[in-house]
Amino acid sequence: MTAATLAGLTGAALVGLGVYGLLVLAHPLRKLLCFNLLGSGVFLMFGILARKGGAAGFAADPVPQALVITGIVVAFSATALAVALLLRLFETSGTVTLNPDEQRPE
Amino acid sequence: MSAVALALATNPGGYLLVLAIVLPVVGMLLSLVAGGRNAERIALALMPAGLGIALVIAFGVWREQAPLVYILGGWAPPLGIALRADGFSAVMLVTAALVVAAAGYFARPLFATPPQRAEARAPLAFWTLLQGLWAALNMVFLGGDLFNLYVALELLTFAAVPLVCLDGRPETLRAALRYLLFALIGSVFYLLGAALLYGSYGTLDIVLLAEGIRAAPVVAPATFAAGGLMTAGLLAKTALFPLHLWLPPAHANAPAPASAVLSALVVKGSFFLVVRLWFDVMPGLASDAAMGLLGALGSGAILFGSVLALRQRRLKLLIAYSTIAQVGYLFLMFPLAAGSEPWNGQAWNGGVMQALSHAFAKASMFLAAGLVAESLGHDRIADLRGIGHAMPMTLFAFGLGGLSLMGLPPSGGFTAKWLLLQATVEGGQWFWAAIVLCGGLLAGGYVYRVVAPALAASPLDVRASPSRGREGIVLALAIAALLLGFAPPGFLGLLQVGRAAIVP
Amino acid sequence: MTALLATGLLAPLVLLAACLRPAWRPAVPAWLAVAPLPALAAALMALENDPVAVELPWLRLALALDFPGAILLGVSALLWSAGGLYAAAFLKRTTATLRFVVCWLLTLSGSLGVFMADDLVGFYLLFALASLPAYGLIAHDDEPTAWRAGAIYTAFTVLSEAFLLMGFVLLAAGDPTGSLRIGDVMAALPQSPWLNGAVTLTAIGFVLKIGLVPVHGWMPLAYAAAPVPAAAVLSGAGVKAGVIGFLRFLPFDSAMPVAGELLAVLGFFSAFYGVAIGLLQSRPASVLAYSSISQMGVIAAVLGMGLAAGNDSAPIAGSLYAAHHVLAKGALFLAIGVIAMTTAPRTAPTLFLATLVALGLGGLPLTGGALAKLAIKEPLGNGLAGTLANLSAAATTLLMVHFLVRLARSAAHEPPTVIPQAFLLSWRLVALAALFVPWLLYLASSGTVQAVLAPGALWDAAWPVVIGAVLAPAWVRWGSHMPRIPAGDVMGTIERVFRSSYAIGVAMERADHMLRRWPAAACSLVAIAVVLSAATI
Repeated sequence: MTAATLAGLTGAALVGLGVYGLLVLAHPLRKLLCFNLLGSGVFLMFGILARKGGAAGFAADPVPQALVITGIVVAFSATALAVALLLRLFETSGTVTLNPDEQRPE
Repeated sequence: MSAVALALATNPGGYLLVLAIVLPVVGMLLSLVAGGRNAERIALALMPAGLGIALVIAFGVWREQAPLVYILGGWAPPLGIALRADGFSAVMLVTAALVVAAAGYFARPLFATPPQRAEARAPLAFWTLLQGLWAALNMVFLGGDLFNLYVALELLTFAAVPLVCLDGRPETLRAALRYLLFALIGSVFYLLGAALLYGSYGTLDIVLLAEGIRAAPVVAPATFAAGGLMTAGLLAKTALFPLHLWLPPAHANAPAPASAVLSALVVKGSFFLVVRLWFDVMPGLASDAAMGLLGALGSGAILFGSVLALRQRRLKLLIAYSTIAQVGYLFLMFPLAAGSEPWNGQAWNGGVMQALSHAFAKASMFLAAGLVAESLGHDRIADLRGIGHAMPMTLFAFGLGGLSLMGLPPSGGFTAKWLLLQATVEGGQWFWAAIVLCGGLLAGGYVYRVVAPALAASPLDVRASPSRGREGIVLALAIAALLLGFAPPGFLGLLQVGRAAIVP
Repeated sequence: MTALLATGLLAPLVLLAACLRPAWRPAVPAWLAVAPLPALAAALMALENDPVAVELPWLRLALALDFPGAILLGVSALLWSAGGLYAAAFLKRTTATLRFVVCWLLTLSGSLGVFMADDLVGFYLLFALASLPAYGLIAHDDEPTAWRAGAIYTAFTVLSEAFLLMGFVLLAAGDPTGSLRIGDVMAALPQSPWLNGAVTLTAIGFVLKIGLVPVHGWMPLAYAAAPVPAAAVLSGAGVKAGVIGFLRFLPFDSAMPVAGELLAVLGFFSAFYGVAIGLLQSRPASVLAYSSISQMGVIAAVLGMGLAAGNDSAPIAGSLYAAHHVLAKGALFLAIGVIAMTTAPRTAPTLFLATLVALGLGGLPLTGGALAKLAIKEPLGNGLAGTLANLSAAATTLLMVHFLVRLARSAAHEPPTVIPQAFLLSWRLVALAALFVPWLLYLASSGTVQAVLAPGALWDAAWPVVIGAVLAPAWVRWGSHMPRIPAGDVMGTIERVFRSSYAIGVAMERADHMLRRWPAAACSLVAIAVVLSAATI
C-alpha cells in the first residue's frame, strides 16, 4: 500500500464519516463539524491528485495545491459564518435547534 | 481559428467582463470602509453603471453572434482562468443588474440612515451584502472555470445567507442557518465532483474539459460520479424538489428586497451552473435517463410547489412555494433541450425565457408582498380582502406577475411555456406537456386565491399607503416580465449564441 | 382600414389608460358606449368591402375580418355600445365603479378583438382578455353567491385556456413553415400528424367557453350573479368568443365525420337539456342562462354537422344564427333590468317587445329569429338533424313563454325611483336590433325577401312556434308543481367532487413536511447524486 493509496482511503473515509454525520446528527454544531470533516476528506483527495501529477504534464501538479488552499479559506469562512449565526441564535432564543417543530426552551 | 482556440484567447470587448465583476466588488469594499450612510450612496450610484456594462456586454454578444472571452492576466487555461459570456450569460447579467437595481432602490426607505441618526449595522450589512451578492452572481454567469465557479457560488451563498437574517429574529436566524448548512453540503458535493474531474482530465476550464471528455476514447469512470455529485450539490442550492427544505422559511422571512433577489436570482445562479455542466461540459453524458431524472424532479417540484402554494396562509410563504414550482419548469429544459434538433433549440429558448420572466415576475411579487406587509403589518392571505382599493398599483403589479406565472399572454411566461410545449410536441415527449399545463392551472389557483379577495369592494384600513415611487418599481418589474412576451426574434437568436449544440 | 381595425381594438384600452388619472376617472363611464363604435365602423366597412387582413407588427398582432367575423363583430359592438349606455347609468347607483369599469373595458377589448384576431397567439391573448377580466363583472356584488359564481367561472375559464394552449401548440406544430397566421395554420392542418389532437383539444377549450353540457354549470351561476348590463354583454357577446373559435379552428374544408357528429350530438343534447332544466328555474336570469346553453347547443350542432360533412358554408350559417343570439339574448337580459324597475300595468310595452324578441329565439316568422333559423336550415339538412332543430325551436318557444311569465312576475311591487332613460333607450335599441338587424345581414349574405315570405317558408318557421305556444299554457298552469332545480344543476356535485380532491392537497402537505425534515432531505441529496451518476453511465 503506497502512501498515496493510504491517503486516498483516508480521504474517502473522512467523506463517508462526514456524510453519515450530516445525515443522522441533529445538533447544528455537530452538522458543522461534519461539514468540516467532509471538506477535509475532499481536500485530501485533491492533494492525492496533485501527487499523481495530473494530466497537465507536471512532475507534481501545483494547481491542486492552489485549489486546496482556496478551498480551505472558503470552508473556514463558511464555518465562521455558521458559528456566528449559531451564537446569535443561542443569544436570541436560548436554543440552537433548527427544526421549528422541536423548539423547546432549555 | 477553431472554436476551442477562440475560447482560449481574449477578444475585443472581453475586458468588459472583468469590469462587470470588479465594479460591484469595488463598491462592496468601498462601502465597508465608508460606512452605512455612504454605502447606500455607493451602491445606488453603481447600480446604473453596472446595468450599463451588462447591456453593453449583451449588445456585444448579439453583434458578434459569438461569446466574449477574457483570459485573466494573459495566462491561458488550463493554468489561467477564463471569463466567458455567451447569450445566456449576457441576458442573465442584464436581468441580475435590473433586479438588483430594483431591489436596491426599493430598499432605500427600509435601510436608510437619516442624517441625524447614528449609523446602524443592518443598513451597512444590507448594502454591502447586496453588492457582494451581485458580484458573486456576475462571477457565476461569467466564470469559465469550474473551481472559480465554486468560489463564486460560495460567495453567493455567503452573501445570501446573512440577508435572510438581517433583522436578527430567532426564526430568521434559524432559517438562515438551515439554508447555510444545507448549501454547504451542496458545495462539498460540488467540490468533490470537481476534484474527480480534475483528476481525470487535468483541467477545470469548461471548454478544455468539454474537449477532453469529448476526445477521450473511453470516458473516465470518475466522470460519471463527478456529474452526479456536482449536479446534486447544485440542486441543493437551487432548492429543487425534494431538496427544498430550506427555501420556504428563508425566502418568506427575509426582508422583501432580499426575498426578491433571493427568489429571482440566487436560485438561478446554481441552476445556471447545472446548465453549464450538462450542456457545455459533458453534453455527451446527458443520457435520456439522466435528463429524464432531472425533468422528473422538476415535475415533482411543479406539482408539489404549486399545491403547497395553494395551501399556505401567508402571502410570502405562498410566493416562496411558487418559486419552488417555477424552478421546476427550468428543469424541463434538460430532457427537452439536450440535443441538436431544431426543437431542442426551442426548448432551450423556452427554458431561458422561463428563467428571465420568473426573475422579473417573482421579484415584482415579493416586493408587492413587502409593500402589503408594510402597509398592513401582516401578510395573512385571509385578511387581504379589499387590499386592491387601498393599493391598486401594487395589486395590479402582483396580478401581472401572476399572469406571467400562469403563462397567459402577453408575458415572458407565456412565451416560455409556448416554446417548451412546442418542443414536447415535436419531440414526442407528451408527459412534460401534461405537467406544464397542470402547473399553469395550479398557478391560476394560487394567484386567484390572492387577487380575487383583494379585488373585493369591502374597505380595508391600511397603516400607511406606499410611496408612488416604490409602487412604480414593483410595477416596472412586472411590466418587464410582460414585455418579454414581445421579445423580437433577434432576442431569441441572442439566447442561442454559444449554445454548445449549435457550435460545429 | 388598418387604422380603423387597430382603433377598434385599442379604443377600449385608451379609455382604460384614462382611468390611470384619478381626475379623469369620473368621466370614463360616459364613454363606455362610445368605445365599441370604431369596431362597429370597422365591421360595417368590412361587410361593405371584401375581407381585409392587416398586420400590426408593433403589437405582434395580425388582424383580419371575413364575413362571419365581421357580422359577429358588428352585432357584438352594437350590444357592447348599448350595454355601455346601460352600464353608465347603472354605475351611478353602485359602488366599486372603478373595478367594474376596468373589467368592463378589458373584457370589451378582448370580446371585440377576438373576432378580428388573425394569428394564434393574438387570438389566445384576446380570448383570455375576453374571458378572465369578466370575473370582476360577475363578482361585482360582494356577496357569497357572487364570489362562488366568480370562482367557478374563473376555474372553467382557466381550464379552457389550458386546453386551448395545448391545442394551439399542436396547431402551430402542424404548420411546417412556422407561420402563426390562422389561415396558414388551418391550411396546413389537414396534413398535420397532430390533426386529431389539435381539433379535439381546441374543441374542448371552446366547448368549455360556450358551456355545452356537461360543462355548462358555470353559466347560470355567472349570469344570475352578474349585474344586468354585465349579464347582457357576457351572455350576448362574451360567449361568442367560443363560437368564433369554432368557426376559425374547425377544419370545415376536410370532412371529419366522427368529430363532427360527436360535436353535433353534444350540441343537440345541450339544446334539449338546457330547455328542460330552464323550465324548472324561477329566476328570469337563470331561465335565460339555460336558454343560452340550449342555443349554444344548436350552434354547436350546426357546426358539428358542417364539420362532419365537410360543408364550408356552415361557418356562415353558424355566424348568422349566433349574430341573432347576440342581440336577442342581450336584449332579454336588459329587459330583466327594465322590468325590475317598472310597476305592473306600465310594464306592458316592455313585455310586448320582449315577447317578440323572446319568441324570435324560437323562430317566430318575420322576426330576426326566423331568418337566423332559415340560415341554419341548409347545413342541418332535412334529415334527423333538421327535425331535431325544429323540435328544439318548439322547446325554446316553450322555454321563452316560461321566461316571459317569470319576467312579468318580476315587475316592481311598489313605485320605485324613476327608471333612468338610458336603461329604456339601451333596451329598446338592442331589442329592435334583434328584430331587424338579421334582415340586413340576411340580405347582405345574398338572401331574398321572396324566399322568406314564401308560404312554405312561413309555415316551416311557424309550426315549431305553434307547437311550443300550444304546450305553453299547460306548462304555465301545471309547471309550477314540478320540483325546482337549483341554478347550475350539476355544479353542486362537481363542487363536492372538487372539494374531495382537497384531500390530495392535505396528503401532499404531509409528504412535504416529511421531505423537508433534515435527514430525509440529506438522504434525498445523496440518493440523487448516486442515481444521477448511475443514470449517466
